[in-house]
Amino acid sequence: MLTIAALTCKEVVRRRILLVTIVLAAAFLSLYGIGVHYGYQDMGGSQYAGPMSALIAPMFLSLGLYFGSFIIAFLAVMAAVGSVSGEIENGVINAIVPSPVRRVDIILGKFIGYSLMLSVFSSLFYAAVLLIVRYNTGLHLPVKAGAITLFCLQPVVLLAVTMFGSTFLSTLANGIACFMLYAVGVVGGMLEQIGTLVNSQMLVNIGIVSSLLMPADSVYRKIVFNLLSAPGSSMSYMMLGPFGSYSEPSVWMLVYTGLYIVIFLALASLIFSRKDI
Amino acid sequence: MVIETDGLTKMYCQKVGCSEICLNVGEGQIFGFLGPNGAGKSTLVKILVGLLFPTAGSARILGKPLGDQGVRRKIGFLPENFRYQDWLTGVELLSFHGSLYGLRGAEKTRRIRQVLERVGLGDKGRQKVGSYSKGMQQRVGLACALLPDPELIFLDEPTSALDPLGRREVREIMLDLREKGKTIFLNSHLLSEVEMICDRVAIINKGNIVKEGPLGKLLAGAVEVEMVAGNITQKMVDELSALGSLLKVKGNTIRLSLRETGDIPVVAEIVVNNGGRLFSLNTRQNSLEDLFVDLVKEGGADKC
Ligand SMILES: Nc1ncnc2c1ncn2[C@@H]1O[C@H](COP(=O)(O)OP(=O)(O)O)[C@@H](O)[C@H]1O
Ligand SMILES: [Mg+2]
Repeated sequence: MLTIAALTCKEVVRRRILLVTIVLAAAFLSLYGIGVHYGYQDMGGSQYAGPMSALIAPMFLSLGLYFGSFIIAFLAVMAAVGSVSGEIENGVINAIVPSPVRRVDIILGKFIGYSLMLSVFSSLFYAAVLLIVRYNTGLHLPVKAGAITLFCLQPVVLLAVTMFGSTFLSTLANGIACFMLYAVGVVGGMLEQIGTLVNSQMLVNIGIVSSLLMPADSVYRKIVFNLLSAPGSSMSYMMLGPFGSYSEPSVWMLVYTGLYIVIFLALASLIFSRKDI
Repeated sequence: MVIETDGLTKMYCQKVGCSEICLNVGEGQIFGFLGPNGAGKSTLVKILVGLLFPTAGSARILGKPLGDQGVRRKIGFLPENFRYQDWLTGVELLSFHGSLYGLRGAEKTRRIRQVLERVGLGDKGRQKVGSYSKGMQQRVGLACALLPDPELIFLDEPTSALDPLGRREVREIMLDLREKGKTIFLNSHLLSEVEMICDRVAIINKGNIVKEGPLGKLLAGAVEVEMVAGNITQKMVDELSALGSLLKVKGNTIRLSLRETGDIPVVAEIVVNNGGRLFSLNTRQNSLEDLFVDLVKEGGADKC
């Protein structure tokens, strides 16, 4: 299992998946950094400087985390979309399955390998966003291990579903399905926030259903809430629109997310264990 | 027995992959599994190495039922459509496979050097597998199969991408392995290759085994006779065809295939007794190719 995990890490590095994502992330972070810097600086001269600055910093923060999640989700799906189907299609798996490793361990090994790479990347990204915001706006946020963990959890949710899909869908179909599912989560999450704002139970319900289908988004809401609702940072999290979080997703949502990952992994292992290759 | 199968059947939806395969392969043999394209050779091997699950039937490998994890350590496999992680170097690929088979440290390094040398890639180990030619990839695949020093090796058309020299080298490797008491299950449609090295063969056509036995015995039976005779009569021809199958009657020449070598004198008798004049009679031992073509053609006629 660890052999497979190590190989998976190597694969992510060797096939430049990580490199491409890091380059993209660097581009995004520079743009973001410049944006935050000038946005904050220029605002200093305007008449709203006082009340606005307390609001704008969290807004920048959530913007960074939001699109960061987006990039990382992309990485998760792209890395794992062919993790099983692709290897069956090109035949690489033919030499691995007959070896003494159990098929379950192949799935788990890959999952661990990808999770590790995604977590490293997510943590770095998270740190970068927080540093940029802090350096430019002076918004002081405590380093919360919980928030970092949650930030790493987001792509892992997608990873589990993507690997599950990869055991029975073709690579292309799986890619489409996973991005759709991710989009459902994102749109649903936004609708829920709007729903809360305009007091529409319908929208809130849509949001709840969507976050059951794809809980990655509610993990994001939880992070934002966690970071910005700390005492002393005013009520600004209320003003972040669709990027914010009006109500904190409950602990049960996290439990659900954990189960979600476990169940999809178990299903992936089960299907793969019975699959003719 | 190293491999025992009992009624192994694999259906792909409604299509037959292989059906009711009953085989026994003893220790220390090179077992040739022959058949035309699409006959079901790869299907059987894939079942035996655990890539496919049989629809019906059972099998035991090295005394254990299919799917036993412990036995897998003792089995090497070169797939038909070999493809390896092309972003690894040859040595890294082997190191990965070694780890899968529980090889560690110095032992692993030593084995890797040994098998790379054995398949003729001794100096190419540091290159990326992606930069290998097709033949070199097949060689590295063979190296992977040999790496854990298996007792039983499945080779699915191991020379399909190799040049004549490479084929010869692979034959030598197989003979070497037999020397060491290993068992080899060789899938092939290259009859000359099989004829040269196999101890036992089975011929499969359309999913069914049509012939099985020691190579020498399969070839011993049938013999082909060509003769030139004058005065050929219909009665003579009828009597001759009772001995085997008549292949050609044209002018003074008759070609027929006999069931037994012992019938050769009888052929001469029939010709003489029917008033024929025998000018020449030549025999030719059947090659595996003749046998193969006969069997596969027959099978084809049966089913269509
Ligand atoms: N994955 C599959 N799905 C459906 N049919 C298959 C599949 N694999 C093989 N077959 C069919 O099974 C038969 C045997 O194939 P195979 O074992 O690959 O033949 P061989 O290796 O002897 O050339 C062929 O008729 C082939 O079309
Ligand atoms: Mg084949």
